[in-house]
Amino acid sequence: MFHVGRYSIPRPVTKNLDDLDSVQSVLLHSDLEPEWLDDIQKNGELFYLELSEGEEEALLQASSAHISAGNHVRFSDKEAEVIPDNRLKERKCEPRLKRFAHILKKKNLSRKPSKRNSPCNANDAGSQPSGPTSILKHQPSQKTGVIVQQRYKDVYVYVNPKKLTHSGVGEGTNLLEALIGILHQSSWNGKRAGKDGGQDTASKGTCEERLLVHGLLPGSSASKCGQIMIGDVLVAVNDVDVSLENIERVLSCIPGPMQVTMSEAHSQLCIKKQTQHSSKQTLTPVSNLVRLLWGEDNLELQLGLSSSPHIVLYLTLKLDSESSKEEQEILYHYPVSESSQKLKAVRGIFLTLCDMLENVTGGQVIRYWLLLLSFKHTHVSKWKEKISVKLRFFSVPFKRVPLPQLRNMMADVVQILKVMYNSLDSAFYQVENVSRLDHFFNLFFQRAIQPARLSSSSSPSSQQYDSFSAAFLDNLPGVRWLTLPQDIKVEIDTAMSDLEAADFADLSEDYYGMRRLYMILGSSLFYKGYLIGNHLPKDDLLDIALYCQHYCLLTLAAEQKIGQLVIWREVFPRRHFQLGKDPGVEGYREPEARYFLLIVGLRHFLLCVLLEAGGCTSKAIGNPGPDCIYVDQVKATLLQLEGVDSSIEERLAAPPSPCLSCADWFLPSSRDKLESFTSSPIFSKMHGSTKSAVVSPTSRKVLFGDTSLRTRRPSPPRSSGGSDTGSEGHGEGGYLNTGLSPHSTPDSIRRHGWRESQGSGGSEGSGGSGSMFKSNKKKHNLPNLFHLGNTKKNLSDKESEELYNATKLTSGSESTLFHYISLDTVQGIFISPTHREVAQLSGSIHPQLIKNFHRCCLSIRSIFQQAPREKGKKDQDVLRTSRSGRSGLGLGFVKEHGVLFECSPENWTDQKKPPPTMTYWTVGRLFLDPYPQEFYVCFHESVTEMAVELAFRLSFGLST
Amino acid sequence: KMEDRAVHLLCLTASSGVPLYCRSRGTSQKQLPFPVIGSLNGVHMFGSNQDVLLTTTCTENARVAWRVFHSSITLIVLTSDDCASDLYLGRLLENVFNAMVLVVGLDDLINIKNVERLKRDLRASYQLIDSFLEVSEMVGDLVQCVDCVLSNNNGVLQSCLDAFTQAAESQFGCLLVRGKVVVATEKWWRLSAQEVMLLAWLVASLAPCSSRDYPIYLPQGSPTVPHRFLSFQLLPGVDVCVLCGPTPSLQEVQKLVERFWKPLLEPLKDCLRIQARAFPGCISLHQGIMGLLLINREQKKSLYTVQPHAGEARPDYFPESTLSAEERQSVLRSFYTLAVSRYFVSEDVSTQEEFQAGFSHRGKECYVVSSDHKCYGIQHEQHQLFLLFKPEVPTFALRNITTKTLSVIKERCST
Repeated sequence: MFHVGRYSIPRPVTKNLDDLDSVQSVLLHSDLEPEWLDDIQKNGELFYLELSEGEEEALLQASSAHISAGNHVRFSDKEAEVIPDNRLKERKCEPRLKRFAHILKKKNLSRKPSKRNSPCNANDAGSQPSGPTSILKHQPSQKTGVIVQQRYKDVYVYVNPKKLTHSGVGEGTNLLEALIGILHQSSWNGKRAGKDGGQDTASKGTCEERLLVHGLLPGSSASKCGQIMIGDVLVAVNDVDVSLENIERVLSCIPGPMQVTMSEAHSQLCIKKQTQHSSKQTLTPVSNLVRLLWGEDNLELQLGLSSSPHIVLYLTLKLDSESSKEEQEILYHYPVSESSQKLKAVRGIFLTLCDMLENVTGGQVIRYWLLLLSFKHTHVSKWKEKISVKLRFFSVPFKRVPLPQLRNMMADVVQILKVMYNSLDSAFYQVENVSRLDHFFNLFFQRAIQPARLSSSSSPSSQQYDSFSAAFLDNLPGVRWLTLPQDIKVEIDTAMSDLEAADFADLSEDYYGMRRLYMILGSSLFYKGYLIGNHLPKDDLLDIALYCQHYCLLTLAAEQKIGQLVIWREVFPRRHFQLGKDPGVEGYREPEARYFLLIVGLRHFLLCVLLEAGGCTSKAIGNPGPDCIYVDQVKATLLQLEGVDSSIEERLAAPPSPCLSCADWFLPSSRDKLESFTSSPIFSKMHGSTKSAVVSPTSRKVLFGDTSLRTRRPSPPRSSGGSDTGSEGHGEGGYLNTGLSPHSTPDSIRRHGWRESQGSGGSEGSGGSGSMFKSNKKKHNLPNLFHLGNTKKNLSDKESEELYNATKLTSGSESTLFHYISLDTVQGIFISPTHREVAQLSGSIHPQLIKNFHRCCLSIRSIFQQAPREKGKKDQDVLRTSRSGRSGLGLGFVKEHGVLFECSPENWTDQKKPPPTMTYWTVGRLFLDPYPQEFYVCFHESVTEMAVELAFRLSFGLST
Repeated sequence: KMEDRAVHLLCLTASSGVPLYCRSRGTSQKQLPFPVIGSLNGVHMFGSNQDVLLTTTCTENARVAWRVFHSSITLIVLTSDDCASDLYLGRLLENVFNAMVLVVGLDDLINIKNVERLKRDLRASYQLIDSFLEVSEMVGDLVQCVDCVLSNNNGVLQSCLDAFTQAAESQFGCLLVRGKVVVATEKWWRLSAQEVMLLAWLVASLAPCSSRDYPIYLPQGSPTVPHRFLSFQLLPGVDVCVLCGPTPSLQEVQKLVERFWKPLLEPLKDCLRIQARAFPGCISLHQGIMGLLLINREQKKSLYTVQPHAGEARPDYFPESTLSAEERQSVLRSFYTLAVSRYFVSEDVSTQEEFQAGFSHRGKECYVVSSDHKCYGIQHEQHQLFLLFKPEVPTFALRNITTKTLSVIKERCST
């Protein structure tokens, strides 16, 4: 079962205990202790996130470049001071520095108190970010002549000691060289010491101790950062003073990949260069999300939020009449900001209304409240727990979050809090949870109010796609699923099954002679945010997906390579805790047990494992932290799957399987877009690379045919055969292309005729598509020799329209499909075009269409949800003989809902003509047979109804 | 405890919170207890003191809407009706306030000197207000366009009405069948759409009597100066009304009624026959259509029926619908609300719902397929058409039928 390449845990072949011991020791001690060990909280929870090398390096580079802008080095006559950088660095590095210091302490390497450090500390304490600054700092043009000879600079270098072990560098080598890439030769040192000695009195060491940079290893971190110069003197690492004597020891204490501050004294030669560096870009948005996850304050993000008032309150209705303490009914609230004060102040409204309306309307339990306060367009919704007398409410700006979405968000938040804390009460009543909840709701509001700022994908289009679709997709009871070829799926499933079988030595009960700690209930595997393997029941999957989604893990994995992510916490899945005991299964009851969620991320992979303790395994006592063995096993599975990612990437890069088209292609106005589309490699990938000269022209013809219809020009006659239509079309090709030739505006058509449109036809395309364009060359009043016969019978508009329709049917609905979402509520998955597929369809209208589509889906789904709830449970037959089943009057049980939208290009400048329009449908359909499914499509109006019907039927094939 | 579909309407003075009246719909007719009224008003006042305007709230089974008019009258509606939408509640409150203005005038409502007297005066508006709370066969309260009847004899009736109105020294005249306008003078159509609708509902809500002289204020046209509103019953359910100044007297106009309308007895009876259907038999609709709502957006008229085949031979190819007339009305109203509040953009930006604003493109058509019906809605420059279909009609045919129906009726209306 185990692959040969399985990482780190070679199965012991011999029964020799000594051998095993050695394996164990390698496993347990070679890697020292895992990096995340120090991050485990008291209650056993762990959230450890480490970016991958490349990402982190890029990230830190950006920030360090910013830091080196000159704010941090201060010149002084008497002593050189390094002003520690402003808050940027503070936030960025503090946890790491702490950890480093912690480790140093362990090793009895205490920091030497030095003068250099004192201003640093003073600055730390002060809230002012900039601290004492020199006059020079504010002058944009620094004259090098004025500068005193000696100065210090902080350089941030990315260091990964693991690399050493990987590359097999032995113990004996020089760490300074191997880790950082600084070459230092003692002999040189001696020689140059005499020359430099006089200058360097300010540096604390004597000449012999100084670490002069003699050279940089090409490709090393030091040379990459570009700020360490030959001739610099290394003074301190992470504020620990270093000398030739202790440098190796200090460096050896670096536990894992991290950023290291190198304080260097250096000569004035470098100054100019350094100021040039300062123009580098500041922090990328990448860090926004990551920093938020790291739980660091982010002023920039907070400011974005403060403009729109929002609050979450958890209130109790059970008031002690005796103690008249103010605000005693508030059990929890977040955030504490000015804008939220007003909302807090009006909580009395909700309390009163809630109390009263329940009495008046009575009977049924009030589940949610929606209040519209028009003062600041704020929506307030409350969630009232069923039995308890507490309620909580949320408020978010109305404009950002429409009502149907808010309801779903509420439900999701309640659900995820229950999963994390078992009940709302236990979440809000415990004091130690407050900071965690603050973090939780900070993330929540960030996601709700400014989702775009958290996402940071490289391409703006997929970022847009994310933010448009998030409003709808985030609340779907499903996870984005990626269909994969069978062989890869098998490989993934096998690897996951292996893990779930827990059939390895460390976990075998025989081996240790004790019950195993946990049983693996199941796992689910994500790649770049797509679910690619799932061995969990639907409810568990949804709970886990909710958690991942809330902590933006899926976004994170999609956009950045994760160095290492380890999450561990106790969870209370709804399947075990909320859903009533199902009497249907006789004789078997789920054991009373505790459940733990372990998420391990590596690069773009995310493997979530649900563990059970207390069933057939030993009972969990207290708050157990993550167990190394389990984490290692999960990590090993991920490593084993590493080879798969290329094939998954291949799948992601493959042309979309239901062929999508871009809205802009349907508008004659977007000529430039059309042009880019015809000449772009994407198009050739999508159509050309399907290597059929037949497919390509037909799809284009449909495309052009549509537009020609719009512009009310006779479209060319076509037979439904496809292959021979190209030649037939020539006769009127000129007509056809007047309005939509990719290269010419209407004006230029009048002036230049058709000349310009030749280009694309000639250069592009093969076979039929080329001939389509070649026809453009002919002036329409000079009939083509080949097609004299055809031009004679000028078809009337009507005839050609009929013909056109006929062609459309045969060419299928594919080329007019813009977007789709297929939700399978039984499996808890949905399928929609991948980010890359959407990114390929760039244009000016298309993103709008995507946005509109998702908003419309939100509306459609809210209609589906309105359907009387009890009906869902009732039998189908009851629905049909609906008289009795019809509860209430409204729209009843809606199965399908569609909206036709019209759009026209933005900034249409031609005043003489009305802008061309394109109309498209957004249709949602709810299937109950054979199992509940929801399907949303967006397609061009010209698709005939029969084709739509067909598409719906075919959709069943999508998910399998 | 509130029962299903109950509606409670509260009217209070905004400054002091004194209840002016309380109307309810529902079989029990039980009034809300006073503390409830007090706290419903209290929360709203509390909010406005905190600079927060409370407009609506909803729970799983109830909705509340607040509105203050001219900072003197507070109207609160509390309903447990499932299909009551925010759009409907907003329009309901507006209608109710307009009804109050119609009866007592705006001055008395803004400057409340004597609360007890105002209470007494407002009693006269109860019938009209109640008619807004009741389930009606008309749709004007929701769409804010008056319900019309398309008669075969429109030409004859129009010329007769014009002559009659002129003889009554007025320019405002209107012929109504059960609250639906058959014909009206040109000036009548110049009144605001709300006023035309209110007057039609007023006639429908008042107890039938042969003639009536009723002082009214026009909420938009003349909210402070009363006019005389004369109405005469031509047949049971058929009324002709005239809006006029101090002269002529009721008796004088009464005499004209005989003279002008006696010869037109047959056309009037015909109107009565088709009023449920709202259009004459010569327009035949597709057999699958169960209900129709056509709105002329320019002229602010609507044609509304849930019995489009009344009086026709029973269709063969579609089974009888399972929906009662009331259910059809409810479905059509819900569908209209859905389309208008979510997708169809209105020119009037003020009424535009927030959700609509989020769409980047304009909605043109929409449809709903449900277990016991299908609906299709279409919006053109001038018209909106909403059709309710039997569930047996294939979905792909809906669009075709709707566009054809629209063109048929448009053609008929223009001739």
